[in-house]
Amino acid sequence: MKALLNKQKAKTLGIKAAGTLAIPAVFIVVLLIICAAGGKSIFPTESSFANFMSSAAVITITTIALSINLNSGRFDFSLGSMAVLSSVISAKITGAILHGGEGSAIVMLLLCIVFGAIIGAASGGLYVLLKIPPIITSLGVTLILEGITYTITKGSYVTDEVRNASMTAFSGNWYYSLLVIVAVLVLIIYLFDFTKFGYKYKALKEGQKVSVNTGIKEIPNAVVCYIICGALMGVVGFINASRSTLINGGSLNFGSIGIMFTAFLPMFIGGFIGRFSNDKLGYLLAGISMAFLNATFVVFANEVTSSTQSIINAVLLVVFLIYLSNEQICKDLVTGKLFKKWYLVIKTKLQDRKASKGV
Amino acid sequence: MEVKKIKFDKHTVKKLLTLLMPIIAFGVLIAVFCIVVGAKGYKLDRYIEIIFNQGLVLAIVATGATFIYTLGSFDISLGASTLFSAAVGVMVYNSTHSLVVMILVIIIVAVGCSLLSSTLASVFKLPVFVTTVAMMSVLSAISATIITKNGGALGGISIPSSVVKPLDNMGFKIAMLVIFMALCVFVFEFTKVGRRQKFLGANPFCAKLTGISLNKYAIIAFVMAGLGVGLGAFLTLVYTPSVTPTTAGSLGMQILVAIVFGGMPISGGPRSKIYAAVVGGFSYILLDNILKILIQGNAGYGISQIISAVFFLALVYVASLNYRSKNLPR
Repeated sequence: MKALLNKQKAKTLGIKAAGTLAIPAVFIVVLLIICAAGGKSIFPTESSFANFMSSAAVITITTIALSINLNSGRFDFSLGSMAVLSSVISAKITGAILHGGEGSAIVMLLLCIVFGAIIGAASGGLYVLLKIPPIITSLGVTLILEGITYTITKGSYVTDEVRNASMTAFSGNWYYSLLVIVAVLVLIIYLFDFTKFGYKYKALKEGQKVSVNTGIKEIPNAVVCYIICGALMGVVGFINASRSTLINGGSLNFGSIGIMFTAFLPMFIGGFIGRFSNDKLGYLLAGISMAFLNATFVVFANEVTSSTQSIINAVLLVVFLIYLSNEQICKDLVTGKLFKKWYLVIKTKLQDRKASKGV
Repeated sequence: MEVKKIKFDKHTVKKLLTLLMPIIAFGVLIAVFCIVVGAKGYKLDRYIEIIFNQGLVLAIVATGATFIYTLGSFDISLGASTLFSAAVGVMVYNSTHSLVVMILVIIIVAVGCSLLSSTLASVFKLPVFVTTVAMMSVLSAISATIITKNGGALGGISIPSSVVKPLDNMGFKIAMLVIFMALCVFVFEFTKVGRRQKFLGANPFCAKLTGISLNKYAIIAFVMAGLGVGLGAFLTLVYTPSVTPTTAGSLGMQILVAIVFGGMPISGGPRSKIYAAVVGGFSYILLDNILKILIQGNAGYGISQIISAVFFLALVYVASLNYRSKNLPR
């Protein structure tokens, strides 16, 4: 009996592991084959690997931030503007205090998290205060944050404050990005899977009315979600600033929302992986897969233009969504069950027709 | 005959305020605009023309989009669709030298793009929003490729301005707006299409049980939006006969703001109004221009956007006073 149970457990574990790793493994193997076929290495230099890691960090953290509110039915267009504003304020303060000296990167990172959280709190506060649909609140918040950024920077790039040895050291060393990813993932898994806040969040996500009626306070939970999103986007703003050593302060009229769209595909892939293990782990694996894709694009930069890259990303999104929305049909198609079903339907119809003719 | 008296209790006043707020705000903005332009000593007629030209494309595309929003869906790719249709239109004109063919192609391409989104969403049961996000990326990328290949990213592609110059006047543009509005009002208010779309927006499950096909009305909604996009793309070329990768860049999001600004709920349903996009679109452009006149200089752009956003949120807040729920809205 015990052996049978162990066998069952091992089988379940195997299915979970296979489900978790299947998409990233296929993705990475295909991309490596493409690179090998083109006679190119996906990571030709150490800096390209560091770039890959920071790209994975940006995608993973943005995806987590997007999913926190989106999974609860709260659409948030303001994620990009949060990242930009928190990084601009932090860069200005860090530049004024340290003048690009030692420790600039860590101080700016901490400030980005603090200001991101403050901006998130303001955004969440506005949502619970006005009680208008979150998508509309986020439109207003995006415009406000972009306006504040533009006013601070006078519409120009922030460069002097982020171009220093400390920032270059951060973006040039892959282990810093890895450290950020691990820290964010551990914190988010702890917050959402092992605390009262997380349990309440999940309850509200699954059934808002029932949860509120059972005494769960929705307002503080929603505001904390916004604070976490803001802090995460602060980290994204910092990584972006360190990678490009500049911050574009001139985005107006929703120019900052593009970052949100890059997180859609990893969010859906992560959600799928999450069925077999943990959704946050899924976002990480999806983020790594997308970073691999971006690294491949960089390798083939002469052959694949940025327009083609956008089209490939969009097609991947649609194809994956088609699979998700028609999972059973796709499975039946692969196993041949679909043809059997069609055959049975046609056969029954023909029999009915014959029978009705006979009558 | 007994005349029914209207009771002006708290509820009725709130309801009236909710209904009239966007129109009152529009009226106030026009008055403020006239005062500001007068006080600055600018030519009012010239400024009104500028406002009209800026708001026209937004109003037309947003009016077509109202059909999609009524169903409770939303399409973020309309700006990219406008860009793509205009780019294809320019290419077609430059090879055929026929204005009629150009207009026809623009409309066909715009409706085709819209139909592709709706077909993908309905046939493969995809979430409409995500489909339109993908469409936005694809259309922007293809347009950018067309423009850079044929004219360079900075200069863009263009048609000779003499071709559209005869049409670049207020009379023609007002006629276009009125004709398109009349078509939309007719379909939305006087046919079963509008009624059923409102029903689907309010309660898709119930509507389905009564035999209303969501796919059919979604396709009609996307066709109407496509017509708006096509007309918008053509009028964009009439105003500026060149297309760059940034043409209509923020239109997709501005449509969302315009519709909400005009007093329509983002969730669609029975409170959807076909005039919301026109009122909202022109209100948004008016407010933006008032602030730009008042706060001049480079930093003024940022401050005027902040004030616009605060005004937008305040207006939506007042307009939604009558529809408050106990729980946080989603």
